[in-house]
Amino acid sequence: MAPSKPGRTRTAAPVRPHQFPFGGRYAAYTLFDATGLLYLLVGFVALRVVWALGSGQAAWQEMLRQLGHPLYVAFHALCLVAVVFVAVRFFRLFPKAQPPRIGPLKPPPRPLIQAMLYAAWLAVTAGLALVLGGGLF
Amino acid sequence: MHRLLLRLEPLVWLLFGQGILIGTMLLTPWLLVVGLGVPLGLVPAEALAYDRAHALGSNPLGRLLLLGLVALPLWKGAHHLRSLSVDFGGGSRDAAVAALLYGLAILGSFAAVAAVIRL
Amino acid sequence: MADAQKKTFVVTRFDPDRDQVPKTQSYQVPCQPDWKILDALNFIKDHIDPTLSHRWSCRMAVCGSCGMMVDGEPKLTCKVPLSDYGDTLEIEPLANFPIIRDLVVDIDGFMEKLVSVKPWIVRAKERAVEEGTFRQTPAELEEFKSFSMCINCMLCYSACPVVANEPAFLGPAAIALGHRYNLDSRDEGDALRQQVFRGEGTVFACSYANECSEVCPKNVDPAAAVNQAKFRAVIDWATGFVVPRGRK
Repeated sequence: MAPSKPGRTRTAAPVRPHQFPFGGRYAAYTLFDATGLLYLLVGFVALRVVWALGSGQAAWQEMLRQLGHPLYVAFHALCLVAVVFVAVRFFRLFPKAQPPRIGPLKPPPRPLIQAMLYAAWLAVTAGLALVLGGGLF
Repeated sequence: MHRLLLRLEPLVWLLFGQGILIGTMLLTPWLLVVGLGVPLGLVPAEALAYDRAHALGSNPLGRLLLLGLVALPLWKGAHHLRSLSVDFGGGSRDAAVAALLYGLAILGSFAAVAAVIRL
Repeated sequence: MADAQKKTFVVTRFDPDRDQVPKTQSYQVPCQPDWKILDALNFIKDHIDPTLSHRWSCRMAVCGSCGMMVDGEPKLTCKVPLSDYGDTLEIEPLANFPIIRDLVVDIDGFMEKLVSVKPWIVRAKERAVEEGTFRQTPAELEEFKSFSMCINCMLCYSACPVVANEPAFLGPAAIALGHRYNLDSRDEGDALRQQVFRGEGTVFACSYANECSEVCPKNVDPAAAVNQAKFRAVIDWATGFVVPRGRK
């Protein structure tokens, strides 16, 4: 936050907050950013899976076999924890980022927005899990 | 590069925001079933038999959901890793880091389009 | 008078004429049970060490002068009771600001950013006195009221991890105040402020740590303002494709 022109006396350099990046509330924030690595990796793994699906039965069977490897399973378990953590933090922060009005329309109260987000998450998860898992279609 | 990043920031932020919102919602069932359920035997393996999986994936809605599943998390990942880089004192290298990370997300997104088209 | 309890204050000292870098100095202060941190600092200055320099004014959390780091957290020292702390407290100047002397920081960088967002009513044509006053409904006021409560104490700047690492970032208070005027029904300066919000100090540098809102002593919720401002900037960016407009 240094000014564009130096002041009349010599100043000491700004000090960053001591708790940053792993102390106090910053820990959760740094972790939130760090989940970016898992999202990037899981996106590329999903790309591999979809690519295998488009490459024929043999490639698909091989992909499924690889997904059974303990390292893949551990990775996906870690990703699931990360996704839940991201969702909980994001659903807390999302409602107040909505504009107070869009044209004549006001958004719902913030607790209702949060409830709607959780409901949508539950519905999408349940619905798509049933489809993927063979319970539907 | 820095000026280009400033001009494209609204678009990147939109993609990142959807990466969190829609990406998180799509990733949860994917991880539960494909990442853990079937490999651990909690979900019958027949659910992901090739014919069934291919039929689901090549359906127009299936292609769209798979595109979202692959591409959107890449933008969340890229944006947050860039933020992490800045937080750890990387202000001066931000343009280079952003170009690398968003470049990866762009490549991944194009690859995702190709992957769902060839289903 | 209640019994005084001795507390130790480890205070940052920096004299630019004598010191190369800041150092700390400890003071033993007999504290009354109902004291705020500022009372102890004023006791140090009045009775122990008159060379200690610190800013303060109203003593009632409305002027924003007395912000400091207390045990690593940005606080208004006139507002925080000593009873919230143990026997030893660490008092430092606000983080992320250059230090002029002791607990006094250089706020000119913040003032430049604040002025750049034009935190006043901007009208295409000034309203003539004969036209009377503006009229605003309670609902219109409610849209921006919390953002208008900012006292420019800069605790949010000390808490923000982006401010710590990106010198050009406008920061929570400046964006919140600019957004306050964008939301004000009397204002017509949105387009002017968008140039600033999407310039070098870009609102998109905010990583939504939410620390600014956690430390704000006036419940301004600057994090909400900054992230609402991002949404507005996206609308401005998108409509710019449909409605081309000249930018300075």
